[in-house]
Amino acid sequence: MDYIFEGIREAFVLLMSGDEEVYSAVYATLKASSLAILIALLIGFPLGFFLGYADFPGKRFIRSVVDTLLALPTVLVGLWVYAFISSRGPLGNLNLLFTLKGVIVGEVVLALPIIMALSAQAVEELDLSVRDTLLTLGATGKRLVLDILWEARYGILMAAVTAYGRIISEVGSASMLGGNIKWRTRTITTAMAFETNKGQFAMGIALGLILLLIAFLVNGTLAFAKRRRQTR
Amino acid sequence: MLYELNEIKRYYNERCALSIGYLTIEQGKIYGLVGPNGSGKTTLLRILAFLDMPDAGSIYYNGSLVLPQLMPALRREVTMLLQNTRLLTRKVKDNVAFGLKMRHMDSNTIKHRVKEALEMVGLSVKDFANRQWYELSGGEAQRVALAARLALRPKVLLLDEPTANVDTVSETLINEAVVRAKEEWKTTIIMVSHDLSWLYNTADEVISLWGGRVVSHGPENVILGPWERVGDGLYCKALKDGQRIYVSGTPSSSNAVTVSPGDITLLSSVVNGYGESAYNLLRGLVTQMVYSNDGLLRVSVALGELNLVSLVDKDYIKKLDIYPGMEVYASFKPSAAKWL
Repeated sequence: MDYIFEGIREAFVLLMSGDEEVYSAVYATLKASSLAILIALLIGFPLGFFLGYADFPGKRFIRSVVDTLLALPTVLVGLWVYAFISSRGPLGNLNLLFTLKGVIVGEVVLALPIIMALSAQAVEELDLSVRDTLLTLGATGKRLVLDILWEARYGILMAAVTAYGRIISEVGSASMLGGNIKWRTRTITTAMAFETNKGQFAMGIALGLILLLIAFLVNGTLAFAKRRRQTR
Repeated sequence: MLYELNEIKRYYNERCALSIGYLTIEQGKIYGLVGPNGSGKTTLLRILAFLDMPDAGSIYYNGSLVLPQLMPALRREVTMLLQNTRLLTRKVKDNVAFGLKMRHMDSNTIKHRVKEALEMVGLSVKDFANRQWYELSGGEAQRVALAARLALRPKVLLLDEPTANVDTVSETLINEAVVRAKEEWKTTIIMVSHDLSWLYNTADEVISLWGGRVVSHGPENVILGPWERVGDGLYCKALKDGQRIYVSGTPSSSNAVTVSPGDITLLSSVVNGYGESAYNLLRGLVTQMVYSNDGLLRVSVALGELNLVSLVDKDYIKKLDIYPGMEVYASFKPSAAKWL
């Protein structure tokens, strides 16, 4: 047990002293996950809105495909993206493998189905009653769509936060696509796995505490969004 | 004439939910819509609110044929409080101001209208304007939703069960606000309400719907089958308490008949001659007595599982000394029943 307590003590020392290696992994994680969620929102939200709002042939099939992709294993995403961005793959000339950009691509793929499915659900839940309410008050055209989006904002926030929670804690695709390169592509989760394998508990615990703090903030935001959504 | 509906039909999954041959609505009147669940009340309201187009038939509004492309503009004059209405997820004042902003009104007018509308439904601006949507009770939320419609001073206000799930204070305030809208702005009110007593007292006309069709302008008794053939053109329905109702004619696919309240006579005791031949003579309890606009009394009589409404002159009521809770006999001819 002593080595665990010693690990926790050392972890606090690392955090307080501003250890560069720790904060490099935190920086890489936040940079990759923030950019990934932004890109995933820009692509996934309009698609999710369309999926929830519009009626078109094959909608049910696409919905079930997107729902299935929610449970996509991260290593499978890593494998597929690896196949595309490796030097032999169709996107090999972009030199994305073992870069933070490569990690971002993997995280975008992971986040997309979550954002699409939850945005579609948020819009679907609102669609009938809110749409009718807005129509009876005289909303039309672009203003109608914008106000439906505004009414769905807590559902959309939930989608973004849920997706963020998934990508920030994933380790499979980040290590396959980023290669866990120190100072460059090493993220919190890949560093934790690597340092623990080496028996360096202090570093692992320090990074774990930061991950826990981020998870706490994510869950707090999620709880807020859920509450607001339910009190509608 | 504000609305004129011709041969309107509306289908849901190939089921005809509404089929109206001809119906007119005049400006500045209060109309009540009554009928059992699934009778087409909400479907009709949604068509009148220009939320849905009928699948067949034509609607004229203010003398002009309503076309789908005209509906957004018409919704600027007509508004509806939906049965499952919800507030927008913003402050009370923003909810009430929303429709006014859609109409590009200036901020002073908006401020004045928001205050006026909130006060009409008994909510003070000081206490409620800055509250969030989730800081309201069910009754308050419904009053805010109504205020958002009243602020528009609409030409037509359609209300689908506005007092169904609210406290009695809110119910009174909502009913009062609706009448005020008619009096102050000559707003045409078309309302579905479970509060039949209020509806019959207040409405200028009550339209009865049954199976998607207009049964009458006024209350109507609908009696469902099964019917047993007991003679040539005579059919009988047995009530749970053993009493029997006789109707004549040819049964229709709906298996239901309607009896006009004016055709039902009330008796305080059995008189020789009645009930012995083809007359229906049904014993029941008076459950409700309501004065209507036409100076008559609408008396509801409970006959076991059935409720019949009779339209009676007030002098006749005085003569018989009928009161709620009293046992009476409802009588009508089998030929008074019309197959739907």
